[in-house]
Amino acid sequence: MMWLLAQAGHPVAMHEATLAHYLFVAAAMFVIGVIGFLTRRNLIVMFLCTELMFLAAGIAAIAFGRFWLDYTGQSLVIFVVTVAAAEAAMALALVVLLFRKRETLSAEAWQELKG
Amino acid sequence: MESLIHPVLLLAMCALGAVGVCLALPRRGLTPQVVGAAVAGLAAGVVVLALTLKNPEHRPNVYFYIFAAVALGSAVRVITHPKPVYAALYFILTIIASAGLYLVLSAEFMAFALIIVYAGAILITYLFVIMLASQSASEETDKGEQEYDISAREPIAASVVGFLLLATLTAFAFRGASELPGSVSATSGLTKHPLSVGVVERETAILADMPRRVEQELRRAGLLKDGDKVVVSEDGAADVDLAGGTIGVVRASGGTERVAIPAGFMPKNVESVGFNLLRDHPGSIEIAGVVLLMAMLGAVVLSRKQVELDEELKKQQAHRLAGEPGEGGAA
Repeated sequence: MMWLLAQAGHPVAMHEATLAHYLFVAAAMFVIGVIGFLTRRNLIVMFLCTELMFLAAGIAAIAFGRFWLDYTGQSLVIFVVTVAAAEAAMALALVVLLFRKRETLSAEAWQELKG
Repeated sequence: MESLIHPVLLLAMCALGAVGVCLALPRRGLTPQVVGAAVAGLAAGVVVLALTLKNPEHRPNVYFYIFAAVALGSAVRVITHPKPVYAALYFILTIIASAGLYLVLSAEFMAFALIIVYAGAILITYLFVIMLASQSASEETDKGEQEYDISAREPIAASVVGFLLLATLTAFAFRGASELPGSVSATSGLTKHPLSVGVVERETAILADMPRRVEQELRRAGLLKDGDKVVVSEDGAADVDLAGGTIGVVRASGGTERVAIPAGFMPKNVESVGFNLLRDHPGSIEIAGVVLLMAMLGAVVLSRKQVELDEELKKQQAHRLAGEPGEGGAA
């Protein structure tokens, strides 16, 4: 059966060593997003970093889908992109609201929210 | 089973990457950003090369290395660039490189959807908000860089935490998929791939659902003449036998025979994703629609402008809306 798939030009399942390459890229990109979210003080750049994490999760989902020869990974990424779009709309509306109140994008302008 | 990369090397490279990213983050005064980015890039490169050299027969496509380097490099630039507009532009570069990775993984539909939706829609919204927010503030400083953009908050602690996370994630992933909890069996060879057994059945079902496309494909390959048709059962499924490699065909003369499937005849990526989305996960599109609708409502409610009216104006508005002549005339 695998022979049939290979002959018909179908993508054959990949080895876990190949998968590990993609997982490393996804994990590294996710961690870069985490570090950016923790260190940057600009509200918009902080939200950009969350988008970076979404993107990394998408790479991992598609790589796993390719590994198991299953398309559910790609369906999942459609929803990751949907949620990212919804999050961007909400986050940017919030940022505009906050910017109108304090005239700055610095996260530290809202330090009193720490309580 | 043996780890895909030596654990000590992995930990050392994670530590090196932490130092590099920490140096690359923006801060006031001395900023060895280029050195830091080079060190972090070196660490990532060593990990990928070690993975490749340990399993040379299973190395990915050469385009993987190019796209991965561009994606990670521009991702580092997103979090280190002092100007938000440039950070957003570098993020677009990250998206395009990720779309390239999707293409290498033969996920064509998602690759182009990513470019259209992410780079085309989401990032443009970000750019608009950045420009809207920075036009009034940029006049204060001559370089156009804000105080809060040129100094990172707690770079050392954040790098250590982040790369500890990376070390745990990769140390676990690099033990191999067969070590993951819930894995079906050891995936040592392609023939033993546990899920590949169901692939032929799934593709047969997808092709059987599209008799017109099967017919079109056969016609293009010259296997069907005018008047010939693919055998279709009562519930509308085409007679496709992928495992046997044949398709049932009714000739114009009336006879039925089985023709061999032409080479390269497979469900396309878009078709497979569509069937997976709508047949295996019905209702998911509706949930996505509700999420988007709620986000739209929330964004409208959050960003609408509060209009301040004093009591006099409110009274006039009320009169005007009621259709009565106000005391002070039309407002």
